[in-house]
Amino acid sequence: MNSVKISVTINGRKFELEIEPNLTLLDLLREELGLTGTKCGCEVGECGACTVLFNGKAVNSCLVLAPQIDGQEIVTVEGLAGENELHPLQESFLDHDAVHCGFCTPGMLMSAKDLLDHNDEPSEQEVRIAISGNLCRCTGYQQIVDAIKDTKVSTD
Amino acid sequence: MKMFDYVSPRSLSDACRLLSGGGEHPRILAGGTDVLVELRKSAVPSPLMIMDISRLAELKGIEESGDSIIIRPLTTHAELAQSEIIKRHAPLLYTAVSTIGSPQIRNRGTIGGNIMNAAACADTVPPLMVLGAQLKLLSAEGERTLPMSDFFVKPYQTLAGPNELLTQIQFPKLQAGARSAFIKLGRRNALAIARLSVAVVLVKKSDGTIGEARIVPGAAFPQWQQVPEAEKLLIGKKSSKEIFAEAGEKVSETMISLTGRRWSTEYKEPVIAVLVRRALEACT
Repeated sequence: MNSVKISVTINGRKFELEIEPNLTLLDLLREELGLTGTKCGCEVGECGACTVLFNGKAVNSCLVLAPQIDGQEIVTVEGLAGENELHPLQESFLDHDAVHCGFCTPGMLMSAKDLLDHNDEPSEQEVRIAISGNLCRCTGYQQIVDAIKDTKVSTD
Repeated sequence: MKMFDYVSPRSLSDACRLLSGGGEHPRILAGGTDVLVELRKSAVPSPLMIMDISRLAELKGIEESGDSIIIRPLTTHAELAQSEIIKRHAPLLYTAVSTIGSPQIRNRGTIGGNIMNAAACADTVPPLMVLGAQLKLLSAEGERTLPMSDFFVKPYQTLAGPNELLTQIQFPKLQAGARSAFIKLGRRNALAIARLSVAVVLVKKSDGTIGEARIVPGAAFPQWQQVPEAEKLLIGKKSSKEIFAEAGEKVSETMISLTGRRWSTEYKEPVIAVLVRRALEACT
């Protein structure tokens, strides 16, 4: 295998990396960069636990080959909060008890972030469609849907 | 994950050159929503090389060209689902791309990948076939255009050579008076592989009778095709529940004549008939 040089922005920070080509974006984040907030679930794009933003859009990081992110921008759950405060979505998840075991939470947050970045006041139906690629086995979804709907989108 | 070399061509001509070499041809990677899953399967032999075309800007975009719509193959399902052009001129394709996979899959998966992967359950194929789509293929030797109705040999096999790249999907806009529908039946709404689907176009004449009917079922036949036996039943008739039901029965009959009776037939036989009827009713 030939190694591949990539240059990528992850959570606002620029990385110059030399990687094996058969690495998924998920493996790169978790195993090479220590960004273990993104979870590894099914690895076939069914569960959404590994959801990150790729150029602002929610994608399954298990279905992206790491060399494909060359020159692109990735945001993971670690890029969501500020230095000392949680993101409004994270606050809302806590307020609504939308986190039980927590395994789906990073993926849910990133799918919700994509939605709220394009839609300030989503309907319940729009929220449900936005997280339709994310599985949760604890909450029954209602708290998650409520948390996303009630998130105050900052206008700055 | 399997081991392979990786190459990412900078242009379309670069890509064609890489595909024209001797020996094993590279496996083409676009959105990756099928290829990445395949690369993890132990039963599938490892490719020597992956050629990543996902960032070739020449292969992205949707445009109107006279009475036609041109879609470049790396356009994602999400981009198609946000396109006013698709919504207006190919509403059944709009339905298909809006419900394929999940939001994450729609943000990565491409229409070209859906066609070239050629899974029997591919959601974009029945709509594109009833729209009369043509595919443009490019290789170092030149370019050729094929009607989609001739393109598929069997599931996962097409007439595209290993050195050819899909560069364009083109179909005529639905004419005035034409109505269309796409219905997909899966085990749930999100991330469902189509168990059965059907795409239909109906064109009514000014006297209210049906002038043209095109029906293409998905995941029903050994390869996608129109069902002239059922379409003929509709021509010259006025829309009615009875005639639509009759067309549905005919599609079901044709399915069994082509596939024989299998474990799934008990279910598919009545269900495809109902899906066809419902799709036709949605066109009135």
